[in-house]
Amino acid sequence: MCCAEPRAGRPLLALLLLLSGCGLGSDLLPSGADRRPAVVPGSVGPAVGQVAPDFTLPDLSGNPVSLHATLAGARGAVLYFTMWCPICDAHMSDLRANALPAFPAIPVFVIDYVSGSVAGARASQVASGWDVPGFTYLADVDAAVERFYGAPMAVVVVGGDRVVRMNGEYSWPRLRAVLEALP
Amino acid sequence: MSGDMGRLRLLVMLCLAVALPTPARAASCCGGGGGGASVLPRGERALLDLAFDLERYDGYWDTGRIHKPDPPGASLSQARLSLTGAARLGGPWQAAVNVPYAWNRNVYAGAGQASQTHGLGDSTVSAWYEAWTERSAWRVAGPGDLLPSVTVGPTLTVPTGLSPYDDVASSFDVTGRGFYRLDGTVMLDKSYRAWSGSLSLAWGFHLGRPVNRLYGAWVEPYRKRLGDRTSASGSLGYRTFVGTGGSSLAFSGALSWLREGQGTIAGQPDPASGMEKAAVAATVTWAGTDEDWSARASWSHAIQRDGWGRNFPTTDVVSVGVRYVLR
Repeated sequence: MCCAEPRAGRPLLALLLLLSGCGLGSDLLPSGADRRPAVVPGSVGPAVGQVAPDFTLPDLSGNPVSLHATLAGARGAVLYFTMWCPICDAHMSDLRANALPAFPAIPVFVIDYVSGSVAGARASQVASGWDVPGFTYLADVDAAVERFYGAPMAVVVVGGDRVVRMNGEYSWPRLRAVLEALP
Repeated sequence: MSGDMGRLRLLVMLCLAVALPTPARAASCCGGGGGGASVLPRGERALLDLAFDLERYDGYWDTGRIHKPDPPGASLSQARLSLTGAARLGGPWQAAVNVPYAWNRNVYAGAGQASQTHGLGDSTVSAWYEAWTERSAWRVAGPGDLLPSVTVGPTLTVPTGLSPYDDVASSFDVTGRGFYRLDGTVMLDKSYRAWSGSLSLAWGFHLGRPVNRLYGAWVEPYRKRLGDRTSASGSLGYRTFVGTGGSSLAFSGALSWLREGQGTIAGQPDPASGMEKAAVAATVTWAGTDEDWSARASWSHAIQRDGWGRNFPTTDVVSVGVRYVLR
């Protein structure tokens, strides 16, 4: 009874073939090739080396905050796009523990792009337990800034010269290196 | 082997399939779409299993193990259809393949922050070895009769799902984690008359991979690795016959725990990685008289209290499934 016919493996083989046929995504054979397009110096865009355009977003009291006005008085600014999820929470905790004390003169904007209004962003902030000082919380009401940078749960660093220095997955060692290198 | 013992083992395995922690299921921001394990009962030739899961998100644990709610107005869920095939390769060896397909539904209060996307989830390929088979489910004449059946084997998770490193537009599109993982599992199960119990222990590790794209945008390449994973689950079940035809109903409860260690990004610890999750599950299973068909319904619930998890969403999963076993 325990030694059934090997023919029973045929449906399994069919499933394996199905699996291999479906799995044509890049994840099966991930590449480490650098495929970032070349950046034209001085061009405006979200990529590292491009000039960040200005934006003005309301903080959670409704006061307008301008990126370029902020950069006029700082070496740079950090943008973090949050959807108040577990990963966002972990990133924000790490930013608060590391970036704020190490670089107190560089503002960190936590940008809510999912709540749709200042009041909604404020409610999300409170519900998530992030009614704490340190960050500047902004409401990206129509998610336009997040879409421009294409950076959900990622971090963007813009230097005081308005040039994008980092746009990608949060990593404190990498962020620290970028912040230390700001002119 | 008696038919009743085979049936009991089938029910135990179904309990385990529900109890085994599958946190990779969580979708949206955390990657998901993975299915559960499936083990062929002793003496059977092959099986096909079709399952439908509906997972609803309701808050999360933060890195300090505090349970927090989702943002007001958010409604997040994932539906999965999983096809599993298992076949005996010969003697005590068997293999199984699980292929899930996932539908994500994410709604936030913000205009335009609603999405319905779908795609293949992460698949698994397993090999199982029946190391020991319990002597009797009906009597205890000596210590040897207390020994449980033991099944061991590796499971390879294949990243067939859509991960943040694929060509996706946002985190809402994610149906997989993007990493290969190899798990080793030991499963113990013991039946005694109408009662059955099971215990599953597993340890696994992720293979590192290069990353050059994040949510559709090309980024400066780096290497990323998720942390090692440890899990344990146990279940207790009771079976009763229904009617006079020999069909049966089994009721089971399960408790599962899972921990994933911290991963790395470019060789440095990733503070957003690593998680822990505890969940309870209840399952009712109907099995036909001739044991080939069975159907089940289950509910799995993550315990939404401080301290019962870390850095992971809390979800409820309602599942229905049907299984056909070929003798």
